[in-house]
Amino acid sequence: MRLSEGQVNSTYMVSKIDAEESGMEEFLFTLGCYPGEPVTIISHLKNNMIITVKDARYSIDSALAHAICV
Amino acid sequence: MKIALAGNPNSGKTTLFNSLSGKIEHVGNWPGVTVERKEGRIRKALTDRNEFITIVDLPGAYSMSPYTEEESITREFVQKEKPDVILNVVDATNLSRSLFFTTQLMELGIPVVVALNKADLISKRGIVLDIFQLSERLSCPVIETVATSGGVGRDLMDLVDALRQVEGTKQKKVLSVNVSDAHNRQEAVELEKKRYEKVNEIVASVERRAVSSHKQTLQDTIDRVVAHKWLGIPIFVGIIYLVFSISQAWVGPFLADIFVSWIDAFYAWVAGLLPETVSPVLSALLLDGIIGGVGALIGFLPLIMVLFFLLAILEDVGYMARVAVVMDRFFKKIGLSGKSIIPMIVSTGCAIPGIMATRTIRNVRQRRTTAMLSPFMPCGAKLPIIALFSGIFFAEASWVGTSMYLLAIAVVIVSGLIIRKITGDTSQSYFIMELPEYRIPSIKRATVSMLHRGKAFIVKAGTIILVCNAVVHILQTFTWDFSVVLESAPETSILATVASPLAFIFIPLGFGIWQFAAAAVTGFIAKENVVGTLAVTFAVTNFISVDELALVADGSQVMNVFGIGSVAALSYLVFNLFTPPCFAAIGAMNAELESRKWFFGAIGYQLATGYVLSFLVYQAGTLITTGSLGSGFIGGLIAIAVFAGFIIYLINRPKGSVILSKRVHMEA
Repeated sequence: MRLSEGQVNSTYMVSKIDAEESGMEEFLFTLGCYPGEPVTIISHLKNNMIITVKDARYSIDSALAHAICV
Repeated sequence: MKIALAGNPNSGKTTLFNSLSGKIEHVGNWPGVTVERKEGRIRKALTDRNEFITIVDLPGAYSMSPYTEEESITREFVQKEKPDVILNVVDATNLSRSLFFTTQLMELGIPVVVALNKADLISKRGIVLDIFQLSERLSCPVIETVATSGGVGRDLMDLVDALRQVEGTKQKKVLSVNVSDAHNRQEAVELEKKRYEKVNEIVASVERRAVSSHKQTLQDTIDRVVAHKWLGIPIFVGIIYLVFSISQAWVGPFLADIFVSWIDAFYAWVAGLLPETVSPVLSALLLDGIIGGVGALIGFLPLIMVLFFLLAILEDVGYMARVAVVMDRFFKKIGLSGKSIIPMIVSTGCAIPGIMATRTIRNVRQRRTTAMLSPFMPCGAKLPIIALFSGIFFAEASWVGTSMYLLAIAVVIVSGLIIRKITGDTSQSYFIMELPEYRIPSIKRATVSMLHRGKAFIVKAGTIILVCNAVVHILQTFTWDFSVVLESAPETSILATVASPLAFIFIPLGFGIWQFAAAAVTGFIAKENVVGTLAVTFAVTNFISVDELALVADGSQVMNVFGIGSVAALSYLVFNLFTPPCFAAIGAMNAELESRKWFFGAIGYQLATGYVLSFLVYQAGTLITTGSLGSGFIGGLIAIAVFAGFIIYLINRPKGSVILSKRVHMEA
């Protein structure tokens, strides 16, 4: 399932990063978002999602939320 | 001894840099504020008498992994300049992410000292850290710091002590494997995963959290409102309007009047000092040209300082990152992302750091587009122009200034679409932005930031602008054969004869008068010059009245001197705000665009935009207020048709390849 389909306040385990843009997968890795690591959805704001990865909050757009498979 | 400050974005590196060096580099509470390295020397209070410690603040990074696209500024710096010690600033509230970079830094062979920053937030968040354990596990000194407390605290002294102690020692690595040994990307990824495992292990042994970071907090609720789909925009507009009203209509002019009374007194004093025998030309140059021109400008200083103060507060609170989230949705529609709003917001202070802030945008086209559109946002130097015209012609109404900002946003949106059509590049980028914690803004930091910019403004006023005003005055005083211009024939001066043909082009815009043309041209040297030149060429010494705390005692008086009506005034204002920025900003633009084609395209586009908008304002305004079109309508229309035709041609011709730039710096 894609992170974009997730529920608020739920924690998911990343299974795969399916990003069209080169370098995004590696960048997410440096933030701690890679297969095997948990990610929690804090808020769902229509085109944006606020997530927590390793104690930091990030705002990601729906395309990126779609690229994160959990 | 040379120290490098490295760490994640927003960890407090620059704040620590400021505390250690006593400098005032800009801090913003959003990632990506520092784009270039800054260098300084640790202040005397912290060092021994003959000790000389240089400290370099580097832009934030999340890692130095090979096989990533991002240029490693940190690695390059270390390789080229070989610092003695690396001071790794770590956000104490996020060890699990920060230590990833820390362990990488330790593999460079240079001794590392960890500054565990934001230590004051640890207990507030219900976190308990075993510092001793951490230091053991990392094999390096770990000093708790609270960079925001300013001054010369115990923590800073301990830090400098630690730096001295490790100098010359070899740093032990935390990981037993060497990532650079990896033969391909796959192996490298596996090794970096091991790194994370190690970090997780360390964090588990030193950190205890009472509240998981995954739980909802008050901040999250605030974010849901502030970054809300529909509420976000009116909140943003409301805040901008408030900022503007405070700086332009309430506090600003009040302080400005005080300044102006000082300038008037100064003028009178100097006039009194001049002996009777001094030539009228010299005295006019000194009094009207220099004191008058620069004085007219200094009168606006309080307005600018108050604006900078409020912007600093906004940044400090942490609102900027949220603005990016709000705007992302709209910016996506024009082919940009929310990231692009930040350079534009920074540009409301000064376009130069704004343009440099575009470096954190990955997509080349988006970066270039943002760099060339950021100057459309009214910068601090353009504020006197706005204040001047809104004061004289519109009785200081706040809608004038606010509408200029809104117009700028509208121009950015339309331009974004046009540029996307011209380049044919419709690629979308992902948007990811770290949301820092909200914090109570520090009045002290905002004041310091305001004074810093105020000082820069005064320095600029006392140098470039003073010289420009003097030159303008001289050119206005003499005719081509160097005789003094007669009072009855002001149009015979050098300046007038040069500016008049130029003024011809401005007739369709409503201000085909040489003084305005001259002022617009001097505006390219520094936008503040527009006000200064107008003051000199119209011989008006100050625009702010002392008698009635109003911007001008008798607006109509100045209006008569200017010789144009409100519609033309608005049009002139728009023209100056939307033409290419000052030369310094144009230089910054050139550096970031990295392409001749884009550079000339940007300048051309900006010239065209200023002209077209100004034309529309004047003609439409004249039509609405008087029922007939302004002069030069046909001429202006032809010029616009040429611009439009050229743009349509560019949109429709076959696309060339997109030139890639090798400079990419990743920030969230």
